[in-house]
Amino acid sequence: MTTKKKRSPPTESDSWVLIAPDSVVASRKTRDPDATFVSLRNPATDGGSQYLFSNGDMQVFEVKAFSEDYRSWFIGQRVQRDGRLLYVTPVDPLFLLLPYLRKAGAEGKFQPLQQVVMDEDYPGCMRLLSCTHSVDSLHHVADEKEVGSMKFHRYSQEKTMEWLQKKVERIVRMLKKSDISVGGGVKSSTFIRVKEENHVTEVDYLCYAHGLISEYISEDLSKDLHKHLQLPEMSSPNKAEPPSKKRKLSDKPVEAGEDYTKFNSADFARKPPKKMTAAQKTLAKVDKTGMKTMSAFFSPKVKQENN
Amino acid sequence: MDLGEFETDNSVSCRLSSPIPDLCKNEDCCLGIDEAGRGPVLGPMVYGICFCPVSKKEDLKALKVADSKTLTETERENLFMKLDEAKSYVGWALQILSPNTISNSMLQRSKYNLNALSHDAAIGLVRYAIDSGVQLKEVFVDTVGPAEKYQEKLSQQFPGVEVTVRPKADSLFPVVSAASICAKVARDHAVKGWKFAEDLGDVDTDYGSGYPSDPKTKSWLLKYLDPVFGYPQFVRFSWSTAQTLLDTKAVTVHWDDDEEDGEKAAARQNNTSVLSYFSRKPSHGAHPREPHRFFSERKLQSVDTL
Repeated sequence: MTTKKKRSPPTESDSWVLIAPDSVVASRKTRDPDATFVSLRNPATDGGSQYLFSNGDMQVFEVKAFSEDYRSWFIGQRVQRDGRLLYVTPVDPLFLLLPYLRKAGAEGKFQPLQQVVMDEDYPGCMRLLSCTHSVDSLHHVADEKEVGSMKFHRYSQEKTMEWLQKKVERIVRMLKKSDISVGGGVKSSTFIRVKEENHVTEVDYLCYAHGLISEYISEDLSKDLHKHLQLPEMSSPNKAEPPSKKRKLSDKPVEAGEDYTKFNSADFARKPPKKMTAAQKTLAKVDKTGMKTMSAFFSPKVKQENN
Repeated sequence: MDLGEFETDNSVSCRLSSPIPDLCKNEDCCLGIDEAGRGPVLGPMVYGICFCPVSKKEDLKALKVADSKTLTETERENLFMKLDEAKSYVGWALQILSPNTISNSMLQRSKYNLNALSHDAAIGLVRYAIDSGVQLKEVFVDTVGPAEKYQEKLSQQFPGVEVTVRPKADSLFPVVSAASICAKVARDHAVKGWKFAEDLGDVDTDYGSGYPSDPKTKSWLLKYLDPVFGYPQFVRFSWSTAQTLLDTKAVTVHWDDDEEDGEKAAARQNNTSVLSYFSRKPSHGAHPREPHRFFSERKLQSVDTL
């Protein structure tokens, strides 16, 4: 279903290598020449991200870049410095509408969509309203009222949680089907386990799926969902850290609690600086500006002591 | 000398050899090793061995083989012809290390330096002679690097063979001189008839001696410098002459094993240094979340701008 597409834009610098569904590529040739990239508010980061509309704005796609250091493309007879590989994949427009609905929902009133989905920073968001299912599927996350020919909506947290839970369950099914490692032990997706991960529990899958869907919702919504799914406490890096022990930042030798050489240790401190090995010398030459001492990472407050 | 085998693919290392004289399979033999084209920035490096029965050493001397450097090209050609005619008791073998092989070895992730490359080529050739049935008793080598270490390395490789590593061995032992002639002739032929794998049109073959100090070589290097690809495979990329020119005249290319200062690399990539991941971040809400590991493990990012 995917084809490699190379765009030949006017200038060399803005060309990309991207993989897009046939429907996007085909539509460019036929009835819709306006498959366009639009910057929209990313529901997770609240900043701008690139999305692509096609088929008369009926479909919206998100754009993800595979981006690793030290990569360039050879394209035909050209070299492209940007070694990214862009993926254009369908995204549920409801995720992108959700921030607007939630904001308007704070007022607790039923409002017409056109009034809700407005964004000075990202005017392209209006196009989300023409996406297939976007208006029809609003009932998943909002209460609806119809007055005459007009439809009014009001954000519903309850419905949204139900809807997100269904999404999470679907992700879990997909994760299992595509054999994705969700266990904590695996650090790299390229690392292949020989043995089955038999200790992976349903909760691991749920946590992983929750993390994945959190890439598409705001942080507080993610927390609400976490509660809704009754997942175990998130181990935030701050909490996971062991209680730090204070270590003196001085070059005096560290003394044990009961040190029998203690009273003879005067000459300890007076020892002349040792000759450095070649390796130590090169290390000493390193530009240390902006670096912290190793011990600084283990103490709660970075407190510079004079040596 | 027929270099056809090398010329069909001059991007790799190639072995050429004479038939093994029957005499060498029955009598105790001596063998000389020498190399040609160690220093040039252009063209291949050729390793040569020459062997003959110990009893025929005098006959070899009678051919008046001498250190290849003291001879003119025609003299070398003639001497090689004589060696070839003496095939009843003299055998030779060559290892042609293409400039591409040299570049790739020296510039690969785990560096393989020229000395190691040279030693291994020499060892490979001696091994070839032994495997072909030459009754090897004595080996004479012109040194590469410290003579003692090299001698120890070779003796270990070939127990039962008396190894003599000596600087200037090519002028001391006729069998080494013979090897040096074979190597030098092969190198000359290879350079002269170099078939460029690249489409360079009518190549200007006036590249001088190929040594970095030769002004002709230098101007040739400048002329054939491509900003993206650098040089044709004829050039040893690992030579500092070539590298300096690439650094100044060609597009900068970054590899992930570049020995760059950590901070500098971070600044160039506009990345945060690894240190920042260990430091405590002030937890104000505006701070962007770490992407989920599904994406970070796959190096996938949202695209902010196109």
